[in-house]
Amino acid sequence: MKTVYWLQGGGCGGDTYSLLSSDFMDVSELFTTLDLKLLWHPSLCSIDPAAHERLLTDIASGTTPLDILMVEGSIIFGPAGTGMFDTFRGRAKKELCHTLASHARYVVAVGTCAAFGGFGAGHAIEATGLQFTKKKKGGALGREFVSGSGMPVINLAGCPCHHDVIAGALMAVASDVPLELDRFQRPLEWYNTMVHQGCTRNEYHEYRVEESDFGEMGCLFFHMGCAGPLVPGPCNKLLWNRHSSKPRAGVPCFGCTSPDFPKSNPFFHTPNIEGIPLELPKGVNRAHYMVYKGMAAEAAPERLKKRSAKV
Amino acid sequence: MSSETKKIDIPFNRVEGDLEVKVDVTDDTITDAWSCGTMYRGFEAMMTGRGPLDGLVITPRICGICSLTHLNAAAVALDRIAQVTLPDNAIRLRNVALMAETIQSDLRQAVLMYMADFTNHKAYQKHPLFKEAVARYQMLSGSSVVEVIRKTKRLIEIIAIIGGQWPHTSFMVPGGVTSIPYVPKLMQSRLIFNRFLEWYEKKVLGCTIARWQAVTTRKELAQWFEERPEHRDSEVGFFIRFAEKAGLDTYGRGNDHFLCFGNFPLPKDTAVTPRVPGTDQLTTPGFFRETEYLALDAASIKEDITCSWFEQKPVVSHPFDSVTRPYASGNMGKPYSWVKAPRYDGLPAETGPLAEAVMDRVPLFLDLIRNTGATALVRQLARITRPARLLPDMGTWIDELLAHHADPFYTPVKTIPDGQGAGMIQAARGALGHWVTIENSKISNYQVITPTAWNGSPRDGQNQPGPWESALKGTPVKDPDNPVEAGHVIRSFDPCMVCAVHIVKNEK
Repeated sequence: MKTVYWLQGGGCGGDTYSLLSSDFMDVSELFTTLDLKLLWHPSLCSIDPAAHERLLTDIASGTTPLDILMVEGSIIFGPAGTGMFDTFRGRAKKELCHTLASHARYVVAVGTCAAFGGFGAGHAIEATGLQFTKKKKGGALGREFVSGSGMPVINLAGCPCHHDVIAGALMAVASDVPLELDRFQRPLEWYNTMVHQGCTRNEYHEYRVEESDFGEMGCLFFHMGCAGPLVPGPCNKLLWNRHSSKPRAGVPCFGCTSPDFPKSNPFFHTPNIEGIPLELPKGVNRAHYMVYKGMAAEAAPERLKKRSAKV
Repeated sequence: MSSETKKIDIPFNRVEGDLEVKVDVTDDTITDAWSCGTMYRGFEAMMTGRGPLDGLVITPRICGICSLTHLNAAAVALDRIAQVTLPDNAIRLRNVALMAETIQSDLRQAVLMYMADFTNHKAYQKHPLFKEAVARYQMLSGSSVVEVIRKTKRLIEIIAIIGGQWPHTSFMVPGGVTSIPYVPKLMQSRLIFNRFLEWYEKKVLGCTIARWQAVTTRKELAQWFEERPEHRDSEVGFFIRFAEKAGLDTYGRGNDHFLCFGNFPLPKDTAVTPRVPGTDQLTTPGFFRETEYLALDAASIKEDITCSWFEQKPVVSHPFDSVTRPYASGNMGKPYSWVKAPRYDGLPAETGPLAEAVMDRVPLFLDLIRNTGATALVRQLARITRPARLLPDMGTWIDELLAHHADPFYTPVKTIPDGQGAGMIQAARGALGHWVTIENSKISNYQVITPTAWNGSPRDGQNQPGPWESALKGTPVKDPDNPVEAGHVIRSFDPCMVCAVHIVKNEK
């Protein structure tokens, strides 16, 4: 049996609620099948306050081994580095995080807040991720941190993280299956393709048939602020809640798996020069892209220009 | 028995976010309480200077369990500023998605958060229903827990069909919604809905919704109990049996002021009728004071920060005029919480499913309150049976969407003009408001008042306690190391501290 402690810092609980939609196995079945014991979860545990205190002491002393530490929400350092904007029984929660991480065999950052700081990074709450603050390595645990297994923090980016990714990562660490990470420590298993992959609007993107107002049925990348071709993630490949994704429902991808999410420029708008987005799909050469998109727009089939596809 | 007053600090889990309550206990009874939100997140200030639509993306991230509700409040505020009329289909899609979110919240709260306390070994091992409670509500393995995880997960699929994903989509935009699901997906939604309804009637109520709605008094509730074993064995039946034996009908009474912002605007062409004739939304807005129903007056809402760790002059203001600047003074002086104290006409007010039931004049709850007051049991019963009031209308709206699927779902809004607007709706936990000011095409002020800020507010300048601080008074605490009774009271308000805690302005 392996043990799991789920710590919640500065976050909204969205990753927990995402996990409850895990479908290949229900959360309860997942824990049973993997033989995981959930020592603590802020929403899914019913041990009393005194028992929780004893548990923390036992983990800190090594009496209770901690195999997997899951952290949801950012680590709050404000005000002025004290961490007192987020306390547990009068102590800064960042210290609790430190103690738990130093005893864990694996440390998993669930969601963009835990991975990169998310909404509170660069704001007065002085939020950081576990091993990054936005794109900068370091974070609450420091650049050199490795957990007991020798792995650095595994960053399951997303706001929230996709339910199948959380479940999949749990399966991997519970079975000591090695996960290959990208430079932001996101497992390539789920973060080596763009959100764009699998989007039902791809044909519109291909021929540059653009949506410029909600509900027009076109590609959301050129005007509506969609980051689907810019950021990695499995939203359109795995689908959400078995059915859909934001771009499929006409909502632009906001790039929530990126370390610098949320960006400061307005959502629902693509910064561009003469209609060509400032940020181009990952790895694309600007000159080539402009020529290709110009030709593609000329070649666009009537059925797409008429926006007759049901997307 | 000693009459010495003990001070206990109680940290709460199964609360979204962080909550610690300090209580005085004399003769095994709580004599005073102070509720403290222990985290500060600073969301509102993040919004300042951002694009006018950015609240649609940022505010859902305030809370993972009611993200759509925040989205809806943000969208309504912008609808108001843009002065746009929504097409009927947009209203239906928003309402159906919101209802799905509310219903999943009610059931997860009841079974995963509330009834989980019935498995507390130290407190209840001698309770005659303890073994059955463990079989039902043991975390991650109890039969009801497993079922609720499965069934609510299915219901949420309707939100994904409408809006792309749950949580954290942004499909509601000023003027309507971003797309309309095509017919087979709407039919799937209908079938998902049918299955959920069937399960809710069979397992949660133990009877049809129609039979449950016929229970209008405490006496009829007792008759309903005796009528069939299915009634007693349902989640509602078991809850009442366990709770009465544990005494939850004897404590947890708040201050008896109820606040509701109203919810689910009615499309122009619809078979759904309002709960109280004369309003243009399904659930009724208003304020209930002692015995009096008052029309909702948005100008009567003020925030008081006398006992909150914020800096602001004056200390009382309407949300359009509020600012949110943290000022932590440690444990010195008056302030003791990151939650502000919203007040209606100077009074603390309880909000949530029970407040909705009162405002909608649901006879059973009016009768229960007349008899026992708004106890922990009554408040929680209102939550677990609220889906019975929402499901029939949700089904009607899905059918209307199928019938009208070719109609518009969005009224174009080219730009958001400068101006002020409020999005005031009912979240699962009660009254939620977003107050938005747009200046020079940017957000210049954004203020959120959440249900938990109402229910879990600290004291104000008049030294009036917040609703659950009041409700804790008189609550028995048999074991100070295991104050499960205080948990029953606070959880009956369904606290959500990630919502209640405020967000700071970046002063750099």
